[in-house]
Amino acid sequence: MSRSRLGSRLLTILMAGLLAIGCWQVGEGSWIYAKARLAQFLLQRAWSRALAGEAMPKPWPWADTWPVARLRMQHPSVDLIVLAGAYGRTLAFGPGHVTSSALPGQEGTVILTGHRDTHFRFLKNVKLNGHLALTGSDGTTLHYRVIEQRVMDSRREAISTGQDTEDLVLVTCFPFDAIQAGGPLRYVVRAERTMDRDHS
Amino acid sequence: MLTDRLCSLRQRARTSAARLTLGAFFLSLALGAPLPATSCAEPGESLHTGIIPTMGLNEVTEGTLMFRTDQAGRYTPAPILKTDVHIAVTGTIARATVRQEFTNPSRKKGDWLEGVYVFPLPETAAVDHLRMKIGERIIEGRIKERAEAKKVYDQAKREGKRTGLIEQERPNLFTTSVANIGPGEHVTIELEYQETVRYENEQFQLRFPMAVGPRYIPGVPVVVEGQGPQGSGISPDTDRVPDASRITPPVHPSGDGAINPLSLSLSLNPGFPLAKVESPFHPIISLQDQDGGYQISLREDAVPADRDFQLIWHPAPRTEPMATVFTEQKDGATYAMLMLVPPTQHREKAARVPRDITFIIDRSGSMAGASIEQAKGSLTAALSRLTTQDRFNIIQFNHAIRSLFSTPQPVTTKAMQQAIRYTEQLTADGGTEIIPALRQALKSPQDGSRLQQIILITDGQVGNEEELFELLHQRIGSRRLFTIGIGSTPNSHLMRKAAESGRGAFTYIGNVNEVKEKLDGLFKKLEHPVLNNITIDAAGWSGLEQFPSTITDLYEGEPIVLALKADSLPSRALLQGQVGSAAWSLSVSFNPSTAHGGLSVYWARQKISALMDETYKGNAQEAIRKAILDVALTHHLVSPYTSLVAVDITPARPTDSPAGEGDQTTNLARAQNLTALANLPRTATGGQLQILLGAAALTSACLLWTFRRAVA
Repeated sequence: MSRSRLGSRLLTILMAGLLAIGCWQVGEGSWIYAKARLAQFLLQRAWSRALAGEAMPKPWPWADTWPVARLRMQHPSVDLIVLAGAYGRTLAFGPGHVTSSALPGQEGTVILTGHRDTHFRFLKNVKLNGHLALTGSDGTTLHYRVIEQRVMDSRREAISTGQDTEDLVLVTCFPFDAIQAGGPLRYVVRAERTMDRDHS
Repeated sequence: MLTDRLCSLRQRARTSAARLTLGAFFLSLALGAPLPATSCAEPGESLHTGIIPTMGLNEVTEGTLMFRTDQAGRYTPAPILKTDVHIAVTGTIARATVRQEFTNPSRKKGDWLEGVYVFPLPETAAVDHLRMKIGERIIEGRIKERAEAKKVYDQAKREGKRTGLIEQERPNLFTTSVANIGPGEHVTIELEYQETVRYENEQFQLRFPMAVGPRYIPGVPVVVEGQGPQGSGISPDTDRVPDASRITPPVHPSGDGAINPLSLSLSLNPGFPLAKVESPFHPIISLQDQDGGYQISLREDAVPADRDFQLIWHPAPRTEPMATVFTEQKDGATYAMLMLVPPTQHREKAARVPRDITFIIDRSGSMAGASIEQAKGSLTAALSRLTTQDRFNIIQFNHAIRSLFSTPQPVTTKAMQQAIRYTEQLTADGGTEIIPALRQALKSPQDGSRLQQIILITDGQVGNEEELFELLHQRIGSRRLFTIGIGSTPNSHLMRKAAESGRGAFTYIGNVNEVKEKLDGLFKKLEHPVLNNITIDAAGWSGLEQFPSTITDLYEGEPIVLALKADSLPSRALLQGQVGSAAWSLSVSFNPSTAHGGLSVYWARQKISALMDETYKGNAQEAIRKAILDVALTHHLVSPYTSLVAVDITPARPTDSPAGEGDQTTNLARAQNLTALANLPRTATGGQLQILLGAAALTSACLLWTFRRAVA
């Protein structure tokens, strides 16, 4: 009897442990997605401050990033606030603008990165010739047309960012549905600037 | 015992057993057992076709003309007839002229091949001259203003011409497409580039790429574009090639046995006496001329190009710093390069100057992850090199600043323990307010008898650059600021400029594995400054332009190089400085004895980069643009506002040539900037995995619950 009680106690402990681990992991995992969504709402306010002319409006006081652009697309429907700097920390809240690349409106290529399972999940459904709109913090909207979609190997390849092109390059991890993070492949969408000015 | 028990239990509850197995599977997942391979795998290796293996542009290890194959991204190397190389080394710059001859080996009429010329450039090199002769056509690289170059490029593109196919697969791979090449036609390519000589472990190194790779061997076939694998009758492998009828025999039957013959000559003017010159892979003949230069050639006239040529020269041991001047007259101006070379051996008896070192470490949120680990590693490494005569302090900052001590404290065991503990506890969080931290470091009293060094470790994500430079300008005094850039995308420009304002140096560390190596070098340097406060007496020089404008301190193991331009140079100039606290001076002769090439190019590059820095300061963009354009066009340089464009300068086009129209203009290297993908952050979260693992754990818990009930 005592054996069976020992067994059942062990089982209870194991069960409690599994429950705790389960809740913790599900909670933490969901928090990533929740944060990705919620932050975008908070960012909207900082973005309107940016449009009002405030330089580097921090969305919350301890933030070390600020909105630099707004990325929109109709099919699939996308509306994202882009943050300055492409670091693990900023990417949790929104797509990040690679500091060494051009800002929208500047000469040169704009590079944005985002998580393949949160903000940049839509890249999977982006089609060739799809239309993207990027609004800079000065309020002008630039229009782009998708001209290239390819998978690149981050260990070997590089994105060309010639100053005489005004392309928009969106980078995310590939494959989209891989369970483990950290693979070497990247999905790179290149869009070319189309000349039509803001007509929205 | 428990197992027995469990076994009997299992027999009693068979249905539960099946569930348990399932549960155990999930449990193993939850406990971090390796997941089945995800599809993050590398793309499969391409198939080899033919007997000469095709290759990707990435595999090129020397200047190669490649023909496209029907496989995208795969090429067949063209037979190379010969290569002539001349390299002139002046001080720390090397100017290389490469001349290569290739052929289209096909004799079949209509076998026009499309070629891509690829040349792997050394890291610091840039091509400024190019000339291609393809049969009768001559194509030359011209420097044009960017907008104009783009117009030429766009026009050719609109007209359906094959414009420059620039496939920059990795940085520093010079690539240009060489239109259609007729059967049996020869292609001659002349290329000039300038690079900076590498200095490492107290020796100078120069490398010319001519390494082993899949290459042309007479008597072996070539794969021709659009026709798949083809074989030659000579090769025994041909029976494996089904399509033997379309054999393409090689042009050059093997005669003397020399494969890809290469001749190489080199003139070396190191600017200081040498202990020895050596070439580890090729036997060389080196002759010394009267003014300290060396004429070097390969012992054999033409050697097979099957390994990189490398030249290493060691400075002769010296205990005093020495200065050398090279001059070049060009277009009515005098260009000079002044090199101040540190002694090779530091005088052991010379007392080590005590130092005050203040480390400033960034622990803001952007440093989270590998960056903060690198920074902590750097800091610990630096602490271990301090001696008891030194004083130190650590300041850490995010949106708030904290410091270990209020002023630098002497190195004691207790202080060290405190410092190490302090370092270990650093975590990255919060904003980046670099200026208060720097202000705090600059508060410590100045002391002329000590070396006061500030070492700033950050990823340089700073908003207010102007304020930072202003602060440095006003408060740096006799202190020196060294910046260490950490992480995937540090703001290198800011950090380099900050170090320049603080008369220190900038070190970039992109990889955790590099931390130790790079910092050892830096700290070794910091311990042994040879000369401080160096100035050059420029009285009586008309129209002098000097880059860099302020001279940094001279450290062991690294020469200082100044680029000068003036209407005329005086015969002598005086260099002044300080050794420790004693005054030092050296008279330098500017006698234009022998002319050296490449100095004007070097000067122009320095000027362009100085002008570029002006734009960051927000000065009048248009004026700077004009100034840069002026320099770049005069000196034939690729810059942010100019491009190298290939222009067809064929005097008369042959009328019967189908490819004659093929390529009037090809756009060459459009000053490619590249962002390495590897430097971008990871763009996937572990959220999915975590939820999955969590769900697995929860499911197992449920299963255990039912199992327990079944048992009870």
